[in-house]
Amino acid sequence: MFATKRLSKELLKLKEHVPPGISVAKSDNLEEWQMDIKVLDDNPLYQNQTYRLKFTFGRKYPIEPPEVQFITVAAPSTSTSPSEPNTDTDTERNNTPHSIPMHPHIYSNGIICLDLLSSAGWSPVQTVESVCMSIQSMLTANTKNERPPGDAEFVNYNRRRIRDIPFVYEDDNV
Amino acid sequence: MNIHEFLSAEADCDREGLVDLRSLDCVSHYDSHLMCPICHCAFVQPVRLQCDHVFCGKCLRSAITSFRSTDSDVFPCPSCRTPTYEVLTSVPRLLINMCDDIRVRCPFIPEGCQETLPRGHVQSHVDKYCAYRPVPCPDTSCDQMIRQKDLYPDQKCTHGLQQCPRCEEDVMEQDYEEHDKELCPSLETTCVDCGTTIVRREMKKHVEACPEVVSPCAASKYGCPVKIRRAEIGGHEQLCPLIAMSPYFEAQNTRLDLLELTVRHLQQRNEIFEDGLANIRSTLVDSAPAGMSGASGGNDHQTDNMDESVDRSSSVFSSNATTYLLSLHESLREEVDQLSHAITDLDARASMTILNESLRIKEDMAHTNAAVNSVRMQVQWLMNPRLHHGPRAGVRANTVGGNDTNRSPLAASSAPGPSSTAGPSMGPLRPRRPSDSGREGTKL
Repeated sequence: MFATKRLSKELLKLKEHVPPGISVAKSDNLEEWQMDIKVLDDNPLYQNQTYRLKFTFGRKYPIEPPEVQFITVAAPSTSTSPSEPNTDTDTERNNTPHSIPMHPHIYSNGIICLDLLSSAGWSPVQTVESVCMSIQSMLTANTKNERPPGDAEFVNYNRRRIRDIPFVYEDDNV
Repeated sequence: MNIHEFLSAEADCDREGLVDLRSLDCVSHYDSHLMCPICHCAFVQPVRLQCDHVFCGKCLRSAITSFRSTDSDVFPCPSCRTPTYEVLTSVPRLLINMCDDIRVRCPFIPEGCQETLPRGHVQSHVDKYCAYRPVPCPDTSCDQMIRQKDLYPDQKCTHGLQQCPRCEEDVMEQDYEEHDKELCPSLETTCVDCGTTIVRREMKKHVEACPEVVSPCAASKYGCPVKIRRAEIGGHEQLCPLIAMSPYFEAQNTRLDLLELTVRHLQQRNEIFEDGLANIRSTLVDSAPAGMSGASGGNDHQTDNMDESVDRSSSVFSSNATTYLLSLHESLREEVDQLSHAITDLDARASMTILNESLRIKEDMAHTNAAVNSVRMQVQWLMNPRLHHGPRAGVRANTVGGNDTNRSPLAASSAPGPSSTAGPSMGPLRPRRPSDSGREGTKL
């Protein structure tokens, strides 16, 4: 109840005004949203790229943090066959594959190591918009074209929910 | 107020019957600074922290309970993370007044109350004045709710059924007035398009047939933009080119659907194959380096070849779904072939190296054997005299180690001369020399 009320208010506000480089890609229910973000300055790592973020909200949002990760494609339900001429630009946009941005704190399966998204670093005053902007600035400030150490192992063996992963936030530079 | 007091003050604000101010529908626009950053509603019973951030009391409570480490006296401000020990309930009057001034709708709008009023008055409106507030039916045997305005003056149950004389439908007494004036299907209304008077229950049928109703062309789904009165649509439909085309469109549509279905099937199969390929590849990659590390590096270029072929075949993949599957299959097979070749090759190499190694070792062993044999012969030769002259063994014992078989005969013959003490010990040396005439010496 609390969560749906707050989310519908956030959605209304996002429909009125979104910050540059951020757009709502999918918000047809109040449990999972998808947001598109772009890096606006001329950082060569992310130029001309649109990345898709998936937000999963729990019932206790905003007291509890949402689960946020990068995804490569939209949910399979929206997939359409290539033979069908698709005039609907919106669905077409939803189907173009996205990549996971290179960043020393983003694993190649899209999981983001950001203390803001952990139970400890989260604050209920954060919104979908502010989380998107934080991630956007995290990408903007990055200059390293690399994955976190132990990426392959993590991607292969992690079966835990994002919330339960014991991240260590040791890097204060990014 | 410290945190513990603040948290324990929770009880009285969740009283039954209190209007949930957050769920009210706001009519007027209010400034975003009056919005609690946690619930994004205008502040409800606001409280202030030392850092001057303001939150709803209830929101702050839930935030504290989930962010404070257990039972500590301090928690971080949700907005600025300042460590906070105290919650101040004194908030500027101005802020409370502004929040209370926001105009909202009465929460009983589904019951029919159209009132809009300042938020600060909602509670008293609901408690005292709202005529639409549902209250328990005065008849104790009836468990339904009744609107407050229907309660007076006679205080009777209005949930009994009453039959409408026109439509013969059973209607609850409290709804009867509305039914009688507006909803009864036997009432007459006028069609907004053609102006004829008809009864309500016929209305639906009439709208479907009314000649004046503006309706779209039957080919509208294929893009015909025409929308005209139904009376004229027959004329249009005879001329409309899209209608003439529509059977063709239909056929195309069904074909497309079919194709889409097959493509989806193929995609699924494709995914399964790809998964299988990935599995095989990962197991092969895991096992290949382990097998190769033992042998020489000659196999490296072979694996390179393999990767190349995989790359090549993967570029072929993208052309088309069916050929994609076929080529996938082909490349899989190729890969397996190559791998089996690699394995045989490896095997041959390994056995060759083993053979080579063992040959060398065999040779070495033959050498050692020969050496050991010669040593044994010498030892035997040495031992023979000792066996023959048992009693002198004790004297000889300390000299055996120092003796050299390669001593020149000259040195040996001169040996007894220089030292008389060495005489008895040197004596037995002579027989060991092959060049020496031998055993007679020992007989001395």
